[in-house]
Amino acid sequence: MFRQHVTTQLSAFAHGELSHDDSQRIAAHLRDCERCRQAYEEIILGVRLAESLALRTAPAALWEKIESALPPPTSAASSATSSVASLSAGATSHHTAPLEPEHGWLPFALNHQLLAGAAAMLVITLGLGAWWFNGPSTRAAWEVARLSGAPTIDADRINATGQLGIGEWLETDEASRAKIKVADIGQVEIDPGTRVRLVETKASEHRLELARGRMHATIWAPPRLFFVDTPSAVAADLGCAYTLEVDERGRSLLHVTSGWVALETPVRESFVPAGGACLTEPGTGPGTPFFVDASETFRRALSRLDFEHGGAAESLDIILAESRTRDTLTLWHLLSRTDDAARRRVYERLAQLDAPPAGVTRDGALRLDQTMLDAWKDQLELSWWRE
Amino acid sequence: MIAETEEWTKSLVAAGKREIVMSERETLMTEREADERLIESCQRGDREAFRILFETHKDKVYSVTLYFFGGDEALAADATQQVFLKLFTRIGQFRHDAEFTTWLHRLAVNVCLDEHRRRRRFIPFGEAFGVDEPRVKKSPEEIVGRGEAEVSIRDAIATLKPKLRVAILLKYFEELSYEEIASAMNCSKGTVASRLNRGHKILARRLGHLRASLFRGE
Repeated sequence: MFRQHVTTQLSAFAHGELSHDDSQRIAAHLRDCERCRQAYEEIILGVRLAESLALRTAPAALWEKIESALPPPTSAASSATSSVASLSAGATSHHTAPLEPEHGWLPFALNHQLLAGAAAMLVITLGLGAWWFNGPSTRAAWEVARLSGAPTIDADRINATGQLGIGEWLETDEASRAKIKVADIGQVEIDPGTRVRLVETKASEHRLELARGRMHATIWAPPRLFFVDTPSAVAADLGCAYTLEVDERGRSLLHVTSGWVALETPVRESFVPAGGACLTEPGTGPGTPFFVDASETFRRALSRLDFEHGGAAESLDIILAESRTRDTLTLWHLLSRTDDAARRRVYERLAQLDAPPAGVTRDGALRLDQTMLDAWKDQLELSWWRE
Repeated sequence: MIAETEEWTKSLVAAGKREIVMSERETLMTEREADERLIESCQRGDREAFRILFETHKDKVYSVTLYFFGGDEALAADATQQVFLKLFTRIGQFRHDAEFTTWLHRLAVNVCLDEHRRRRRFIPFGEAFGVDEPRVKKSPEEIVGRGEAEVSIRDAIATLKPKLRVAILLKYFEELSYEEIASAMNCSKGTVASRLNRGHKILARRLGHLRASLFRGE
């Protein structure tokens, strides 16, 4: 059957530059087309290489060089300086007609009598300018739009819109909803009864803290640029859309609707693909991911295995018996979370559902050889993508 | 716990099916308004406003020029200086119907490409055949201090054709959308997509050996 390959659109797909329909079409094509999937891996490597470039600081002396190349400031310019002071202080600036291009650079007459005053104003302005840079920065803030009710930022009610600065809390009551623009990489919708804080926003990292409530994130940035801290794990975006909820006891539930999310603590990591979910608990961290269409019996058994003491063998019996090919997502994670005896049982069931690829041996998998586990995971992902 | 989990899962599945759509029309204007007021002050010849504008954008412009010129710091500093001098002398021409950052990036792109064309007349044969050579050889200090991988990536970026290089740099340093890059480079969004695609592929092929270290870093 003829298939239109999508290799020319893969960078735009990775950057979230395509329409929803086009993205869906390409995602569907990638699930079925090995050639385009390989091309996509290549593009993603290129993206990762490019995004690893570090921002460089301009030489400190550069401003002096630029300033020395500019015509000297004039009285009129000094007078205009006050508008920056007003700007810094939050006052409304007065409007002066912009210079016409044909007038060239600063077509003001030099007025020596005003220079002393201008110098004084400059000192004041430099101080205010320093405050403008070093104080709370609007540039390090995210835009917030009220969707309903009365959301607050640091207890101040916002009107139609507001700014969420670093360290500030956005809170919704039971009748409020809000939407956050995550820099220029995505958006987060905040449900009622939610409390989130902006922890960090910079080119290499954007981070929220979700203390309680529910948020829906859609991120179109390269992987590992957007993170959400919860009381029991960190959700690391791998290019995706997902819903994350935290209850009053600090437990969380992640449900991924597109792409991948990693749930992490220093000692444990769970990879959750689209259609998958994962619970976390304080003290334990991320549980084992599962597909939400797995049987109820399977999910109950997994919850007992992850978070309750006792009955592990019985729970594992149920999980192994109930598992489908797609549930190799759960079994693959369980390989490294079970002891030797249980691990052997998990391995046998996993191999029965989807035999390991060439180069992955039973001994290697059982001793948790990471290269072999990754190779097996690469193969298993094909079944995880299928509906 | 289990019953709660079930309920929770159900509610999340329902929530996950709800499409999340952010309307561009709802994009907030506060930062843009602040920029506009700052630019108005610059247009009145306010030196301190210039300095604020410079401080706001200098590192990104410098980084773009530094990587464009293969790590040549002196050349990057000169190019950055040119960009801001042009910006300040022409800011009276700026009209608020255009995005200021796009305008700034267009200046930066032009300075880089002009300088590239100017230097092309005097530099090695390689470029004449479509292969740019990195301007700066890596010093041992760079290799040890910044890491071989970073130097390799910088060098690989420097060997991209200028228009691919600019597209990559605007995307990753300025974090521009394809539409903004298209505007800065005076081309279509499709051309931007194509240039980025080619750039990514070339980087991946030249630096495939870094894959393991890159992903291990996760």
